[in-house]
Amino acid sequence: MEQRPALDPAVLDTLRKLTPPGEPDVLTEVLKLFLNEVPLRVERLRNAWAAGNIEEVRRAAHSLKGSAGNIGARRLHAICGQLDDIGKSRELDGAAALVDELAAEFDRVNTDIRRIISAAS
Amino acid sequence: MVPFQVLVADDEAVSRTVVGAMLKKAGYPVIFAPDGQQAFQALDSDDPPAIALLDWEMPGLQGPEVVQKIRGKQSQTPTYIILLTSRDSSADVVQGLRAGADDYVTKPANEDELIARVSVGARVVELQTALADRVRSLEEALANVKALQTLLPMCAYCKSIRNDQNYWEKVETYFTQHSNVSFTHSYCPNCYERFVRPELEALESARVAQDRQRRR
Repeated sequence: MEQRPALDPAVLDTLRKLTPPGEPDVLTEVLKLFLNEVPLRVERLRNAWAAGNIEEVRRAAHSLKGSAGNIGARRLHAICGQLDDIGKSRELDGAAALVDELAAEFDRVNTDIRRIISAAS
Repeated sequence: MVPFQVLVADDEAVSRTVVGAMLKKAGYPVIFAPDGQQAFQALDSDDPPAIALLDWEMPGLQGPEVVQKIRGKQSQTPTYIILLTSRDSSADVVQGLRAGADDYVTKPANEDELIARVSVGARVVELQTALADRVRSLEEALANVKALQTLLPMCAYCKSIRNDQNYWEKVETYFTQHSNVSFTHSYCPNCYERFVRPELEALESARVAQDRQRRR
């Protein structure tokens, strides 16, 4: 599992190909937006979890799921989906482990993104 | 035909940018809204986008609420609305379509599928526009027919018709001006017996008389 890339190369390739001729790389732009937006959401999710605010955990997980899906962060997308479902059903079994897993997976995604961005510039 | 403008409403910049780039690549002009309220304002403007992609969970108004509010406005050429969301249960799809959305796509959207669905939307919008134009021209035609249904004063002897300006016109002139009818002249069997045959016979006997005179 750890050997698999955090970001799906096929999705990254699709994003790269969205770049119009002569314009800045769409992939880099999107990854930078992800780095701007998403750490705050992860932070919000963890705080909400610590405060026992399950609805806020669900909302943060849901929006993270959207962003993760768009950049091909498959594992992160799946974890967020599970937290989204848990938030809906209010069945909290395994939620604590998922929140930790989300943080760890987010670090992997982060590392990959930084590598791609520095390779592009 | 000018490609239709597409509104992309999403509170996440990542989703907005990716979807916007897909649409631009396919040749659509794109406008953006970062929340439900601004999406509603764009749809409710004098020149609304032909097609809209709305996220479900947004601050302020949620996607389905935006759809419901705009559908309450009853436009002749309504925007084709696609809900684009990570919510993927059947219950969500049903709820979204019942709110008045035309289609439903789950995130993350596959580029080819998204563009195919948007072009379905473009097709529907084209049909709707053509239909609205057609209704308008039929209404105009109907107004003309109504003008012809009024009581026409007609001369009992020469059959001229008195027009709205109080002038007497030939039937042909009146109808050519007030409808799409045009005339081609001919004669009926009765008038053939009454007018045409005597004239032909007169011509014939005149010709015979002329021949006789020439032979002398």
